[in-house]
Amino acid sequence: MKHPWRWIIGFCVIGGLVLLAVLPGGKKLEFEVAGEFQREVLVKLPTVGPFDMSITKTVAYLWITVGIILIVTIIVARSLKVHPGRFQYAMETLYELARDGIVGSVMKSGKKQWFPYIGGVFVFVLTCNLIGLIPLPFGDHHQTAFYTATANLNVTLMLALFTFLFTHYAGVRKNGALKYVKAWAPSGAPPVLKQVIWAIHVISEFFRLISLSVRLFANMVAGHAILAVFFAMALIFQSYLVAVALQGASVLIYMFEIFVAFIQAFIFAILSAVYIGGALDQDH
Amino acid sequence: MNPAAYRELGAGLAMGLGAIGPGIGLGIMIGKALESIARQPEVSGDIRTNMFIGIGVTEAVALYAFVVALILIFVAK
Repeated sequence: MKHPWRWIIGFCVIGGLVLLAVLPGGKKLEFEVAGEFQREVLVKLPTVGPFDMSITKTVAYLWITVGIILIVTIIVARSLKVHPGRFQYAMETLYELARDGIVGSVMKSGKKQWFPYIGGVFVFVLTCNLIGLIPLPFGDHHQTAFYTATANLNVTLMLALFTFLFTHYAGVRKNGALKYVKAWAPSGAPPVLKQVIWAIHVISEFFRLISLSVRLFANMVAGHAILAVFFAMALIFQSYLVAVALQGASVLIYMFEIFVAFIQAFIFAILSAVYIGGALDQDH
Repeated sequence: MNPAAYRELGAGLAMGLGAIGPGIGLGIMIGKALESIARQPEVSGDIRTNMFIGIGVTEAVALYAFVVALILIFVAK
């Protein structure tokens, strides 16, 4: 039995691809990746001392994040049921992931006390990252564009600074300032080596601050830059064939970015939990 | 070559060479984690959590290279 339809469909597909390759592309456009990450001022406000108080794109994204978290949590908290619906079940899964997967698995003591901060950071970073994957009208001339507040070093550095301060606050409050600082070097080490280890530990505390903030920032910038390049490559190559292929590929990149958004929020929260837990239960 | 060309060359080299180490490290780590999960499936939750911590710490090294490349291209003049 022959299938003439197969041949017809095959010829149509090949003909379509050839047509796409032959068709002249649109106007060639200049594209600058760095422009996607500029902090455009939406509302100009006066400077107070050294601080520029104007409302930028980043601030707008942060407010949207906070608004979404507030609305979702209020709606869920108002309508709690014993037999949860889909939405409540999803929120409960997120809560359980933060409580058992992040705080419960890495902290020994102080779980109840530090869960609100770590769970809050997790949900905040996750929402920030995911909102960055929705095109919102904050681009040039109110075009829709991708941007995320966590692709700004100031935001991530602030979040990392919170973890840094809370780590030492927790350690000092639980162990006492002198004992906490002393325990940074192992007690059994010989005198000179002990001081060297202590100095290295102090430096490593500050590098935690840098690594925690730069990791999130660079991941988000890299992800959005790759997305922007994939979306814009069709304009640069001026070919419909490249456009079709790249739109397919950019869907895969987009799905990978959703995964990255989850993983980075998870890593930020779990490293905060590891640092705070390490300050609470000092092992040496 | 003019200085801009050197800058862009340096950015490419920084990213490319900086990705080698973390790539090898991530490969070894995830491979070992899968190996141990296959041997002891009952502790897979703990292993996965620790693996993600390790991924975060290792991956950051490649991202420092990325930040250096960005600085070379956009900031250094």
